[in-house]
Amino acid sequence: VSAVPRVETDEAPDEESVRRQLEETWHQPPGLLPWLKSVDHKSIGKRYIVTAVVFFILGGLEAGMMRAQLARPENHLLGPDAYNQFFTVHGMTMMFLFAVPVMTAVGLYLVPLMIGARNVAFPRLNAYGYWVYLAGGLFLYISFFLNTGPDTGWFSYVPLAGPEFSPGKRVDVYAQAITFTEIAALAAAVELIVTIFKNRAPGMTLNRMPLFVWAMLVQAFMVLFAMPWVATVTQLLAMDRLVATHFFNPAEGGDALLWQHLFWFFGHPEVYIILVPALGFVSMIVATFTRRPVFGYPAMVLSIVSIGFISFGLWVHHMFATGVPQLGQSFFTGASMMIAIPSGIQIFCWIATIWAGRPRFSVPFLFVLGFVVLFVIGGVTGVMVASVAFDQQVHDTYFVVAHFHYVLVGGAVFPLMGAFYYWFPKITGRMLSERLGRWNFWLLFIGVNLTFFPMHQLGLEGMPRRVYTYLPGTGWGSLNLLATIGAVTIVLGVLLFVINVAVSLRRGALAGDNPWDADTLEWATTSPPPAYNFIHIPVVEGRAPLWEQSGELPVVTGLRTDVRDVLITTLLDARPDSKHRHPTPSIWPLLAAIATTILFVTLIFTPWGAVIGTPLLLLALLGWGWPHGREKWEQQMVEQEA
Amino acid sequence: MRATRIVADVSPLPRTVFGHRSMMWWGTLGFIVIEGTTLFICVVSYFYLRRNFATWPPEHVFRPALVIPTIQAGLMLLSNIPMRWADRASSRMDIRGVRSGFAICTVLAVIMTVLRWFEFQSLNVRWDSNAYGSAAWATLTAHGTLLLLELAETAAFTVLLFKGPIEERDLAGASDNALYWYFMTGVWIPLYVAVFLSPRFM
Repeated sequence: VSAVPRVETDEAPDEESVRRQLEETWHQPPGLLPWLKSVDHKSIGKRYIVTAVVFFILGGLEAGMMRAQLARPENHLLGPDAYNQFFTVHGMTMMFLFAVPVMTAVGLYLVPLMIGARNVAFPRLNAYGYWVYLAGGLFLYISFFLNTGPDTGWFSYVPLAGPEFSPGKRVDVYAQAITFTEIAALAAAVELIVTIFKNRAPGMTLNRMPLFVWAMLVQAFMVLFAMPWVATVTQLLAMDRLVATHFFNPAEGGDALLWQHLFWFFGHPEVYIILVPALGFVSMIVATFTRRPVFGYPAMVLSIVSIGFISFGLWVHHMFATGVPQLGQSFFTGASMMIAIPSGIQIFCWIATIWAGRPRFSVPFLFVLGFVVLFVIGGVTGVMVASVAFDQQVHDTYFVVAHFHYVLVGGAVFPLMGAFYYWFPKITGRMLSERLGRWNFWLLFIGVNLTFFPMHQLGLEGMPRRVYTYLPGTGWGSLNLLATIGAVTIVLGVLLFVINVAVSLRRGALAGDNPWDADTLEWATTSPPPAYNFIHIPVVEGRAPLWEQSGELPVVTGLRTDVRDVLITTLLDARPDSKHRHPTPSIWPLLAAIATTILFVTLIFTPWGAVIGTPLLLLALLGWGWPHGREKWEQQMVEQEA
Repeated sequence: MRATRIVADVSPLPRTVFGHRSMMWWGTLGFIVIEGTTLFICVVSYFYLRRNFATWPPEHVFRPALVIPTIQAGLMLLSNIPMRWADRASSRMDIRGVRSGFAICTVLAVIMTVLRWFEFQSLNVRWDSNAYGSAAWATLTAHGTLLLLELAETAAFTVLLFKGPIEERDLAGASDNALYWYFMTGVWIPLYVAVFLSPRFM
């Protein structure tokens, strides 16, 4: 690799002693306190994934309750008030506590391994992000159990959500729970961008990055530009409710549509923030299970990047029913249809890859095939609702519910399930059962279609979203019952997955380093990876390092092993550029998250919350950033004690 | 784990780097993007709400006073001189230069924070009077949180610089703090134009 300076080395260091010292430097001792202080991306990534899956199950149970309520006309399992809370908390959970965090979490776990790094760029920020996310989730669910769950829908339109029509604290819980999760998402985005820019293994130029890493990079940039919109607009709503500002109050010059614009400017990219990492999963799985690199790497990368850009130009298609000027309608229709082009290019590239390869139909690959089918259906209905005339017919009906569940379940949950089966051996060292996995796949695939396909018809027949029941005379009973049977099938599928995980954790076949014979760097280390990820930082000479370098893996040496030393490379070409002292474990990120929680929760009740919470937070940030333990690094001292 | 072959030795690489070679510089840039977007949203909302009023400011509301906000805007711009000086001193490892630059900027940040309080008075409208007032207050508050954060960080750095021990990388950190300072003060100028000047010609 011309990018790497070659330096003659006198002798190879003794591998075993290097390994022992790295272990001593990086390992996380057992016990609660070290766990709370951990800054290891794998430890945090795992708890992030587990937490997100728990929220997925909770959100699924809420959906199950709604399906039970709708199974027959004039049912009385849930009253209208409870139903409102159930669909709102379901939507918030799936969007803010499951879909975005789980994609980010998998990224935080895998990206450093895939790019040959020891950890993420800002490990304490990573810990802080997780704690804030957890606090936000707990806050939402504690409120829900106290009958103060948000009840105005996940996009919580004003004036319904304003102080006049939603007294009480339910909407404040909505606004603040979102703030928690957005802070976590933004923290993760900054980390991922800097990790990908500066911590790549030598030789991993941008055009050799695995497609999943590209996907996470694009996703992180989208988060960076999209999440501030929802974080800000929910704060404006909270202020309207708490200190009587008038952003959304038409009587004093405020504007209800301002909410919709600001919300959907986030809300549409949000869908792609969830989808883009999933596209990355698919590319990795397709390459491994056809055993050839994905066809059209430049086209794939450009497609992901252009999805990132175009997704910011679609938001008004959520607002076609609000009386948008006709030119605006045409523009947003065009943009909405345009995004099908890069999505289509990716689908064709995958098909070309599968076509020319010899696919192994293992469970991860089955989920990818399921994804293609479901996502194409969701995509086609997406092109349909992009047309204003059609959209106005089906707006706020079950047709839209069917559309976005096909897109999100098909486009995100299926690739995610595939990713779980694919990377579970790396994370735990054990394989998931293929047999249970196949049952798992078919139950989910059939269940999803049974649940959501009838909703297209229900929508066309005029069944509105978010209404807790319907009359027998509407004739919607049998299709609703079918959807509920589908939901039960999904529950069985998820249950089987949980059983598979529980059994395989103990009794699964041992995985070895690279059970799928895959091509990317995470498979070059042990399963599960050691705390330091790699004994030596690998050097990359192509897009598929483990396939191209079948013999010994080229590596660099020269990082200290007695302290946490990491290698920084240049942005474009990943040339070794400098070395960096890595932060040690710390309790301060947790304390800062607690301070953040105090700030946000007290702000629901009084503006003085800012006066209480801000100094606490600043104090925690000071403790976090204040330098400790410098004696080992004396050679770089500019000045000792003044 | 795979067998390995050593192809390069990175031990001669430097440990302290500045600007885009440093991770913290990129991290700071990330937060600048986030906060810049937040301020942009405030301004977008401000002008979006403008459409709902016949006059701007609305009837029976005085235009904002300009004296203190203009002093503040000037101070923000001028404060970049000592910060730039400290920034350049940091890349020369000139610790005395960094110290004095940061001490001056801490004092300036305290003055700016006090002036921010008077800027709220200069708006001549309360946040709960009408949507115009809400948008103006929100813009000042959003920028005010950045000012407060930068005051805290600059002050903490100043204490560290005087107290020691100081490492090379603390000086790189000081340079990243300077990057944030340029943003925080520079972004105020368009916000000042929007909130204080635009009601005079809109």
